[in-house]
Amino acid sequence: MNFEACFRLLADRLKEEVIVTSAGNCSELWWEITGESERVFYLEASMSLASLFAAGIALGAPERTVVALSGDGAFCMNPGMLLVERELALPNLKHFMVANGCYGSTNDLVHPFGEIADYAAMAKAAGIERVYEFSTVDGLAQGLDDMVRGAGHAFAVLHVEPLGRHAQSPPLDGPEVKFRFGRYLERTGGRPVFDTPLSAKPV
Amino acid sequence: MTANGAEAVAQRIADTAAGCGIALVASLPDGWITPLITRIAADGRFRHVAVNREESAIGLCSGAFLSGIGSFALMGASGFMTCIYAITKINYTYQIPLLIGITLRGRPGDGAKFHQSNGLYLEPVIAAIDMPFVPIERSEDIPRMATAYRHSRVMSRPVVVGFTREVLRGEA
Repeated sequence: MNFEACFRLLADRLKEEVIVTSAGNCSELWWEITGESERVFYLEASMSLASLFAAGIALGAPERTVVALSGDGAFCMNPGMLLVERELALPNLKHFMVANGCYGSTNDLVHPFGEIADYAAMAKAAGIERVYEFSTVDGLAQGLDDMVRGAGHAFAVLHVEPLGRHAQSPPLDGPEVKFRFGRYLERTGGRPVFDTPLSAKPV
Repeated sequence: MTANGAEAVAQRIADTAAGCGIALVASLPDGWITPLITRIAADGRFRHVAVNREESAIGLCSGAFLSGIGSFALMGASGFMTCIYAITKINYTYQIPLLIGITLRGRPGDGAKFHQSNGLYLEPVIAAIDMPFVPIERSEDIPRMATAYRHSRVMSRPVVVGFTREVLRGEA
């Protein structure tokens, strides 16, 4: 399916969730489509840790649904992430893995792993029960609610075409991403993240 | 090493960790910290997660910070050395605090020849990335873990505490 159409659908339907995006196309495209800077943590350049970073958030915020958007390049660096996700079995963690067969952050350089491996089968073999695979926008539109709103941790492979162009990186420095995201969680009912609340108190 | 000595130290480290607000421990073993991991995994004050690789502990614990959970990434020296990218890219870029516990492999007294590289480069690498380092060389130093945890939050950076073999065996 078309990468941009896929993300436009996700952005249109995932309005309440907390989002963690991995490096390259996932962060760039989500920023381009949404311009969001509070409920999204743009985890650029983590090299495979986006879903476990999201798992850490989900662990401490069981009342929220946390969505991780990662890529197949990162996945192939650390497929063992699935084992930790399975061990954690966090019902509020939903992991979408974009399979575009290339490294989107480095000029769409192709990699061979998607031709070799069946990512969804790997997830099932890791013991993950709720595994999805979407190859069309219509199919994603039909199955998205079940994947995200259904009970239990879920992993989905999104088969998309390479983006084929550069998109703008979110124009946010790391600390700004941290504070915007953390303050958003605090403000919307989460437990305190930072040691000092963002409210003035009389001395 | 006496089993009782190592277990007593493990208990003391666990108590210190719990006392400073740590609720999540992500670990990958090193032979020196097996009793400590066993102790923590059995302790209801913690959610213990056995990770597939040390970098995963960095990712998981860093995310946990953003949901208000105190965490501790526990690993061997060699595992720590594999984490430099994750630490600098996640914790340094985003200024996310994290307490990391490691074994001080390769110090004089470590008879394992395969830790020569840690003997040569572990502490210089920590210094090279300007990471605050708190050695735990005697059992009296164990409370410094709490100081290190607080310092991490003050500095908005990771802090590493390094345990010697003698401390972990209950001999120092």
